Amino acid sequence: MAKINEIDTEFFADERSSSFTVIGTPAQRSDALGHVTGKTEFFEDRAFPDLAHVKIHRSVHHHARIDSVDCSEALKVPGVLRVITHHDVPANWYLVLRLIGVEPHDEPVLAEDRVLYVGEPIVAVVADTEAAAIEGASRVKVSYTELPAVLDVEEALSPDAPVIKKDGTNYFVYEGHHARRIRFGDVEEGFAQADHVFEWRYSSAPIEHAPTETTGCIVVPQSGNRLLIHSNTQAAFFTLDNTALILDRPFTDLQVKGGTVGGGFGGKVDVIVEPLACIAATLTNRPVKFVYSREEEMQVSSPRAAERIYIKDGVMADGRIVARKVMLYVDSGAYSRHTPYGTTKAAAHLPGPYTIPNVHADCHCVYTNRTPSSAMRGFGVTIADFAIESQMDRIARALDIDPLELRLRNAYRDGDMKAHRKVASGTALIEVIQRAAALVGHDLPPEYLAMSSSTPREA
Amino acid sequence: MTVKIVNLKLNGVDKAFMARPETTLLLGLREQLGMMGAKRGCAQGACGSCTVLLDGSPVVSCLVPAVTVDGSTVGTVEGLSDGQVLSDVQQAFLDGFATQCGFCTPGMIMSAEALLERNPDPTTEEVQEAISGNVCRCTGYEPIITAILDAAARRRGTTAATTPETDEGPPPTTAYESSEGMRADV
Amino acid sequence: MLTEVHVPDDLSEALRLVAGGARVLGGGTSLMPRLNDHASTPTELVSLRRVGLAGVRVDGSAVRIGATTTLAELEHDDRVAFLSPVVRSIASVPVRNLATVGGNLFAEQPYGDLTVALVALDARASVLDAAGRREEPVAALAGQHHGLVTELVLEVPAPSTFRYLKATRRRYNSASIVTVAAVVEQTDGVVSAARVALGGVGRQVVRATLVEAALLGQPLDEATVASAAQAGLGQLDPSDDAYASAWYRARVFPVHLRRALLGR
Repeated sequence: MAKINEIDTEFFADERSSSFTVIGTPAQRSDALGHVTGKTEFFEDRAFPDLAHVKIHRSVHHHARIDSVDCSEALKVPGVLRVITHHDVPANWYLVLRLIGVEPHDEPVLAEDRVLYVGEPIVAVVADTEAAAIEGASRVKVSYTELPAVLDVEEALSPDAPVIKKDGTNYFVYEGHHARRIRFGDVEEGFAQADHVFEWRYSSAPIEHAPTETTGCIVVPQSGNRLLIHSNTQAAFFTLDNTALILDRPFTDLQVKGGTVGGGFGGKVDVIVEPLACIAATLTNRPVKFVYSREEEMQVSSPRAAERIYIKDGVMADGRIVARKVMLYVDSGAYSRHTPYGTTKAAAHLPGPYTIPNVHADCHCVYTNRTPSSAMRGFGVTIADFAIESQMDRIARALDIDPLELRLRNAYRDGDMKAHRKVASGTALIEVIQRAAALVGHDLPPEYLAMSSSTPREA
Repeated sequence: MTVKIVNLKLNGVDKAFMARPETTLLLGLREQLGMMGAKRGCAQGACGSCTVLLDGSPVVSCLVPAVTVDGSTVGTVEGLSDGQVLSDVQQAFLDGFATQCGFCTPGMIMSAEALLERNPDPTTEEVQEAISGNVCRCTGYEPIITAILDAAARRRGTTAATTPETDEGPPPTTAYESSEGMRADV
Repeated sequence: MLTEVHVPDDLSEALRLVAGGARVLGGGTSLMPRLNDHASTPTELVSLRRVGLAGVRVDGSAVRIGATTTLAELEHDDRVAFLSPVVRSIASVPVRNLATVGGNLFAEQPYGDLTVALVALDARASVLDAAGRREEPVAALAGQHHGLVTELVLEVPAPSTFRYLKATRRRYNSASIVTVAAVVEQTDGVVSAARVALGGVGRQVVRATLVEAALLGQPLDEATVASAAQAGLGQLDPSDDAYASAWYRARVFPVHLRRALLGR
């Protein structure tokens, strides 16, 4: 096999040879010896004699105004060193995606005058021992005025729903629009010319990653006011940059040491524990650990978003799909985190790997009073795929067409114009289906076996 | 509240540490003795990452108040090898790609060691039962189960039955090896 | 917050501490998960690890199980092999090596499957407190938190009279959806005696007296068991939890009662 990128030996004289022989041969993982001997160092695998611990007092309501916060009893617990409220957070409002210019900054590090979900952090308690921190957090008293909660994506968009977000809409605004949109051709015309119109609804629940190691970090004050962050983040530079912005300190004040993650799956890309641990370490000048309990990991770490998807297809009697309209609602929960991006990914994935001349999609990133959702393994794409491929199977069944033949008939090919106004290239769906059919002994008629991604479809 | 001294025979060596009432065996091992092999994944006895051998039997050390096991014998993953030669279970996990993130691995290995002490020739189902208290969220359980069966074979001195060697070189490539990729451009 | 963990060497010291308000710690597998992660009122524990209550004694058909015998010890004791499937249906190996028989009596539903079996087996608990020793049916212990259970006393059931089935979300290490334990005796082709206990379907272990009444005097067949299940539904008060909904538990109860009693 030809080398794709030759190493420039003029500049990299000592570079090792690149014979590319690994694939197809067993190779020892570089970290496996540490794993089997217990020597792999996870963030928590370091002891400090003066380690302090952070625990959180959390909202007990889906949606409420905070009338008062009383930390006096927490401070009386032996071993409690400090309480931290939003007043102690230099730049309390943030959005992890601000690093790529996404706005508004819709999430407080610690709640100010209201809470938008059960489990939202209000006060952080720093103590000598974990037990004292737990005790202290339990003694914080918050008085609330409960507000009506919105727990359903479509209800959240109805005109009479209470607006839960300070920015004025229960949805993320994409360049002035209520949704990430696709407009290609004319779907109504497509439905009019279609022999059949099928519309079905798909929905999914939130999914928690449940990594075996819960989210956490240890922050150690260094000389010269720098902070060393031992973290199990999946995204060291997201963490460093966002933490510095929240602390309102130069990036160079922070060092993130990580990369060893006890399971992440997208659940460790939000920047939640590090800023508070940094503030606690700064205020106490001690190493501080903030690690989620298992219950916190299950309750407040961002899950994969719940989605609801309506797909309406105009289909000809021979199975050609001539129009596809998708109304997609992603439950972002109370705050944005990575879900505006996940919703865009869903839009980018529509209408699936099929060439459809008329496409209309509105992909809504909706705010509700539920746990904020965020990244998880193909987020945006996975549930959209579940809906699209379920839809394909149902159409095939309704028209009594072989489900693989239906897909082959509609599969995109090199040179096709996609709904996003991009010319498809490197497509391989036809060949993948043909090969899969052969492997499972599913017979395809000759005209389907003769199809090719590189041959333009007949009009 | 009193702090008490807890004595253990840890991996064959006499050790002592100071325990508060809430100090579990797990936290004593980790925070007082610096033995970081056993992990805290849930503190609920549900994930098995903290599994150690207490007087020879595997237990979830997160649920054991340290002061209750003063004078006991404790075995952890650190005691399985001298750093030169791995135990059969460790070697089988290493050879069989039975790790991914590695967080569950020490607990999984201790459960496996205990199983093979009691039952040198377990069935697949017996292996499944033995590790039913150890949660792995990455590798899937198949390579772990295979590795434990392999370790059993190694301990019995019979030939290992895993990781078939292949000399066939890379698998056949498709016609699309130079594709620019098939991912959505997002 | 835990303020002290006592590890007395003898029973009288343990009793004194319990009388003083300390909570009893068996294997810790129910109590410690809560204490590890949650605030609590100041709590003293008294561990029974060293008080010498562990061990199984079998004398003919009489079985005496010490309260701090671990579930694992019971599982591997061939003299009480009829309890092995019960124990193996509970939690996982590293939990069973800690969890005690006495502790299981106080496990909250949908846990505590050994207790379901013990109720069906008509086991009695030997309880010690300042007033002295008394014996109580296991079924009467629910919710009691005074005194110390030191021992369980039961009879080995007659061959093939003891039935046990636990429906779970996965084969190993799952709490109960529905647990059925029963001792059913048959004479001349009809049920002559029945004790049926249920787990997973109530706030406590349910002694299914309505099921028992419907079985008595009838042939042990599908029709009898189906009508017994219908009768038993009135005694169920299941909960919603992460393992199953209350609706589901009630819905599948007749199936699992049938599988337990008829093996199909």
